Formats: sequence, structure tokens, C-alpha cells
Amino acid sequence: MSAPVRRAPETVLAFVVWGSFALAPLVLSDWLVSQFAQYFTYGIFAVSLALIWGQCGLLCFGQAVFFGLGAYAMSVVTLGMVPGLEHAPSSYLGLVFAVLLPAAVANLLGRFLFYGRGLRGAYFGIVTLAIGVVAERLAVNWDYIGGLNGLMNVPPMRFDLLGAGAGLWEPVPLYYFTLTVAVLVYAGLQALVGSRYGTVLRAIREDQERTEFHGYDTADYKLTAFTLGASVAGLAGALFVTQFSFASPPLIGFGLSTEALIWVAVGGREMLLAAFLGAILVRVVENALSETLGEYWLLALGVLFILSVVLFPRGVIGEVIHRASAVWRRGGPPTRG
Amino acid sequence: MGLEQILILALDASNFILAIVLVAMGLVIIFGLMNVINMAHGELFLLGAYTVVLVEGLGGHFWLGLLLAPIVVGLIGLVLEELVIRHVYHRFLDTILATWGLSIAIKQAVVIAFGPASHTVSMPLPYGIELFELTYPVYRLFIMAVALLVILATFLIFFRSRFGLAARGVIANRDMAACLGINTRRLDRLTFAYGAALAGLAGAVMSPIMSVDPQMGLGFLVPAFLSILVGGAGHLAGTLVGASVIGGADTLAANLWSPVVAQIVVFVMAIVVIRLFPRGIVGRWMRR
Repeated sequence: MSAPVRRAPETVLAFVVWGSFALAPLVLSDWLVSQFAQYFTYGIFAVSLALIWGQCGLLCFGQAVFFGLGAYAMSVVTLGMVPGLEHAPSSYLGLVFAVLLPAAVANLLGRFLFYGRGLRGAYFGIVTLAIGVVAERLAVNWDYIGGLNGLMNVPPMRFDLLGAGAGLWEPVPLYYFTLTVAVLVYAGLQALVGSRYGTVLRAIREDQERTEFHGYDTADYKLTAFTLGASVAGLAGALFVTQFSFASPPLIGFGLSTEALIWVAVGGREMLLAAFLGAILVRVVENALSETLGEYWLLALGVLFILSVVLFPRGVIGEVIHRASAVWRRGGPPTRG
Repeated sequence: MGLEQILILALDASNFILAIVLVAMGLVIIFGLMNVINMAHGELFLLGAYTVVLVEGLGGHFWLGLLLAPIVVGLIGLVLEELVIRHVYHRFLDTILATWGLSIAIKQAVVIAFGPASHTVSMPLPYGIELFELTYPVYRLFIMAVALLVILATFLIFFRSRFGLAARGVIANRDMAACLGINTRRLDRLTFAYGAALAGLAGAVMSPIMSVDPQMGLGFLVPAFLSILVGGAGHLAGTLVGASVIGGADTLAANLWSPVVAQIVVFVMAIVVIRLFPRGIVGRWMRR
């Protein structure tokens, strides 16, 4: 009844945001365009974390494991390193692997962690932290995937259809391709979040026991959300590595996992769009300030992170959107409904 | 494997176990009493080590640094509690994030103040001691003695003093304790400072045998957390058991294979144990 009214300002905002991203290459330099294409992959990654943390309450300190798995899967397939597939290094196949492998790993992990007595809250956080450390160790010590040096010269995304094909390496097409994927992921997950399923996820976040008493199999819901989040993170990793052309152990580890947490916390964990913008904002500011601030940048980022956790649990961007839409609802133009 | 090797292995294992306990003690007190997961604990450890570096840099002796470290870090803990931690007490998961932010900020502040390179601290007791037919560094025995003293002191404080009684009251039932006139705010402050001081002491006492660099905190934080969860988060005794399992298994596996394999094996083992016994190994028998 009131749901469309409540969500209207955010929908308008989403159109404004995606619209401005679509027009941005008209004014941005080629270098910035390719930078933004890369930031979009971080944004998709942030959205995957916002789904499981912001919606479902799973504070995951190892989300980069899935991003890294996606990146390595894409690299291994497109470099023709998979036994039996040496002669068909296809981007399509790489994408399939990059989405399915993290999903499979997350599903197995989730089955182990969520069912029965299950792990909750902080325990889940610390266990995923340990998993992230283990994954990075494994990547560093596994020679097949390049060990500490990683895999270099990962080819760009290439789409072949009926004999004709095109590689995506020019900044502008790459930008629009990544943006399209980001919009599709956002639209799909936003629809999910707005559905009954999303309501149950938020109920689990607020009070798992009460949700259980209402007859919901909370472990099932957590498992599907965790798996879905992992596949989206894997997709982001695959897109990232085709642009960056280099897969290395830091992509799978603890550092990137916590960086993603910062993006989502600063952006806004409870809104997918805010999380996406959080990743972009932190990267843009980092790009602008890291030269002038030097080593003070990380200090500033740490302090900003603390402030946004303590003062703005909705995130800095989320808080702004929240206030703006409150004003809109009170005195702004009337919305349908 | 000869007798000497077994002895060395046992000494190394005890050494690692007691070092983890030293770090984990502060963590588990803060977690048990305040329900705060302190991700900045590794950085408090770091600050303890850098206090020694600073004191030695100013011409002071190592022992002075060792004495000052818990005091300095305890005071820093008091300030952090006041500035950040107390604002997120009621948002359990957010304490992880807030302290994680503190950890990033402190680490970077140390990089700015002391540079990213590693420092060395002079070895205060450069002698070895003859045990059967082999020599073992005296300083490692000193670390073990310090850890045992800290464990003893902590148990005495928590089980034999009025402060400890009040603290255990708060752990059991915070609201009831407050109703009975216990100043929980003051207790929180003191607890956090005490936990921080323990981390500072641990960092200072370990500094001569480690390379003191801004990343040294994380190496102890994860094993310490896993020890607490493996042992059972509600008890001091659980931490001892958990650290023995983690530290013992790590030393053994490192000797059998390599340190890298050891870390992977121990972490995976810890995850499985935590999943199967969420109350910890000790928690299974000690139900309150």
C-alpha cells in the first residue's frame, strides 16, 4: 500500500545517478573514463556485500575471497590454463566460471556455517576473517595460479558471435559495458530487496529468533543470500581482472575484504545504491587526495570510517539520501499512491 | 626425534601459547565484560612495542620501556574508550567496525610517526641457559614467566578482589549489577584500560624477539581471537585451553611441515572446532 510511496524518492535518485553516469563520458577524459569503469567493478563488489551485510546482517570479513575467486577463475579460463579447455579461451566461459565457482564455494561454506546451531554475528565475522587469511595464504603458495606473483597478461573481455568478435579494451565501450552490468545487477538485486524475500532477510537481520518462530527457515534464507552475494562478487572480480589484466593474491585476501567493508559502511549498508556510491566516492576521493595527503590519507580514511560507524550508521551517503527523502515526503512534490 | 628436539619443541610451543594468552587475555576480558570485539587489540600490542622503541630511541633502557608500555597503552585505551567505544556499546556488531577503524588509524599514525620500516629492540638478556645438552635463550624463559605472572594476577583480580566480583557480576547480568549500585560505566572504563594495558605489556615484552613494524599486530590478533572462540568466550580458563590448542597445534605443524602449512591447517581446524562447539571446548563442560 505505502511501499511505492515510501520508495519513490530513492527510485528517482537511482534514475538520476545512473543517468548521470551514462552521460559522464561526454565530459570525462579517456583516462578518467577507464578509471570509472574500474570503480564500477568495485561498486558491484560493494553491492554484493551490502546485500548480505546490510540486508541480511551477515558481517562478512572475507567477501574478497569471492571477488578473488571470480578474478582467478576468469584469468585461468581466458589464459587457457584449464586442462581440456586450452584451445577455447572464451570470455563467456570465463564469466560462467567466475560466477559459479564463488557461488559453489559460498554455498558449501554456508551449508557448514549456517545450519544446525550455526554461527552468528561476531563469530561469523571472525570466522570469515580467518577464511580470508587462509585464502590469501593458499593463493600465495599455489604455483598453478602464479603464487605470489599472480597471473599476468589476462586478456580483455572479448565477445564472439557467429564468427565475428570484438575485444573490449577501448575506454568508452568498456565503460558502457561495465555500467550496463552494474545497472542490471543493481536493478535485479533492488527488485529482490523490495520483494517478500528481501523483507524476510531484513527480519533475520533485526531478530533471527523471532523470524524463526514465525516459521521461516532462516538458515535457508541466509544461505541463498550468501551464495547470491558471492556470485555477484565473483562477477565483479571477473570484470575487474579483464580491465586490470593482472590477478594477484591481494585480490582474494583480507585487505580488500576490509576495504569493501569501509566502502559499504561509508556509503550506506542498508541501501544498495548508497553502497555502490560509497565505493566510487572513496576511490575518487582517494585518487584526488592521496597525492596531497600522502600517508595521512589512510589515517583520514580510518577516522572517516570510525565517524561514519559511530555517527552515521546509515552511512554518509545513506544519511544524506535518508534526510533528503524525508524532506521530499513532507513538503516536496506529491508522489503517486 | 631425540629428547632434545622434543624439549625444544615443547619450549617453543609453551612460548607461543603463552604469548597468545598474553594477547588474548585482554581481548577476552573486554569481550566478556563489555561485549566489545576489539579489532584494535593488535594495534594496542603494536603501541606497546613502539613505546619500547621510543624509550630506547630517547636513550632510556629496555626495562624502563617495558615498565612504561602498559601504563602508556592503558592510558591510550582509556582515551579510546571515551572517544569511540562507549558510543557503540549498544550496537554489538558495530563495535567490530569502530575498533577496526581505530586499528587502521592507529596503524597509519604509527607509520607516520615511526616510518613503515621495521625497528629492532635490543635484547635485554642476551644469554642462553643450559638445559640438558642444549642452550635455550634466557629471554624466552623471561617472557614465559611474565605471561604466567599476568595470568596469575588476572585470575587473582577477577576471582579474589572486590573489583573482580563486581566485574563478574556485570558479566553475569549487567542490569542487575547496575541496580545493585555497581558503577558499570566506571567498570567499563577500567576494564578497557586494563585490557589495553595487557596488550601494551604483551607488545613490549615480545618486542626484542620480533621485528617491530606496523604490521606486527595482525599476526597475533587472528590466533588470539581463534583461541578465545575455540576455548569458549565466556571464561578466562577457556582462553588458556584455546591458546594451548592453537599454539600447540601451530608449533607442531610448523615443525612437521612448514609455518605456512601450519597456519592454514590451524586456522581451518579452529574454524571447524568453532562451528561444532560454538560455546568453545571448555564451554561444553562449564555451563553457567
